[in-house]
Amino acid sequence: MSDATNQGSAMVPRKSGRIDGRRLRSERTKQLIVEAYLALLRDDNRNPTAAQTAERAGYSVRSVFERFPDLHALRVMATDYSMSQSAALAPARHVDGDRATRIRSQVETRAGTCERGLKLWRMLMVFQQDSDELKKRVRLGRERTIDRIEQMYPAELAALDAVARKQLLVALEALTDFESWARMREFHNMSFEDSCALWIGAIDRLLPPTPQP
Amino acid sequence: MTLVRERGRAPTAAEIAEHAGYSVRSVFERFADLNELRLAVVDQAIVEGRSDAALQALDLDRANRLRIQVDSRAHNRERWLPLWRVMAMQPERSPELAARMETIRELGMRRIEAVFAPELATLDEKERRNTLIAIQALTEFESWDRMRDMFDLSFDEACATWVMALDSLLPPTSAVS
Repeated sequence: MSDATNQGSAMVPRKSGRIDGRRLRSERTKQLIVEAYLALLRDDNRNPTAAQTAERAGYSVRSVFERFPDLHALRVMATDYSMSQSAALAPARHVDGDRATRIRSQVETRAGTCERGLKLWRMLMVFQQDSDELKKRVRLGRERTIDRIEQMYPAELAALDAVARKQLLVALEALTDFESWARMREFHNMSFEDSCALWIGAIDRLLPPTPQP
Repeated sequence: MTLVRERGRAPTAAEIAEHAGYSVRSVFERFADLNELRLAVVDQAIVEGRSDAALQALDLDRANRLRIQVDSRAHNRERWLPLWRVMAMQPERSPELAARMETIRELGMRRIEAVFAPELATLDEKERRNTLIAIQALTEFESWDRMRDMFDLSFDEACATWVMALDSLLPPTSAVS
């Protein structure tokens, strides 16, 4: 009995270890497929196919569809993956700094997010019309931007009434949108620093005076 | 355009023909393909944009220029937003379509430049360009779309947001003007 028990207890971890290992490998493959899809987007492929994604990841098309029922599911997972990465890479900094420091910090963080995530954002703009899941994520991305603005400029926003506060939040969100960043970088050929400087100047003019403590 | 507004997507040739009361063949007798038809609609938007009434208000004071410019742009956005959405949704835009989208943006930029010439004249070249780019970003179709769709602002509330933002971004009006 005790042997049997021992045997049994020795086998259980071995079996679950095998399952866990397989699951881990499968998860890793899934992640590599998602990363391949995102890499293709970054290479300016606005609509990567399953075959292109599989080739880039080094797997077969069958492997892709074993893990994702369709390309839409892959797009949703790529969006979630990228949004988590983006949140991890862009924590709020200098929230207690003076006005100039907070503006610079918010702009540099947002600029980094836009620079890294522009191509994914464009994919979302194309496919969100047919997908409530993607629409939800677009909205979430924008809500996070607004949350960050509120976090960075509480003193300035507190000085406004509800209507003026909402107007300002809407304007700041529009100003620092992905497409606004893209226009500066791609159409106006502005450098990263010049684009940041433009946003800094515009935000400074849009924000009300900082109340004195 | 009626179908684009109703359905929020690019209509098929069959849908267009049925709506217009013609055969699909008739559609393709007049337009080589759907892209050509789409371009014709965009060209109509450009013509309307060029004949916009806002340019007739150049001599007014700052507050009135702001109000008229915003009102005019807002109506333009409201009218053509469904078409813009359809164009923006194309994963692969034809060069002709991409060029027309740029023309629309360029027209918007020149409009701002003309209407707010007295204020922009007080800035050096770099500041002037930066102000124009910031105003353009704020008054794009996408910005209007978000105000109306995501933030649920009424037409008037959305206009008020643009007026506030433009007024903050523009430098003081010089006394000479």
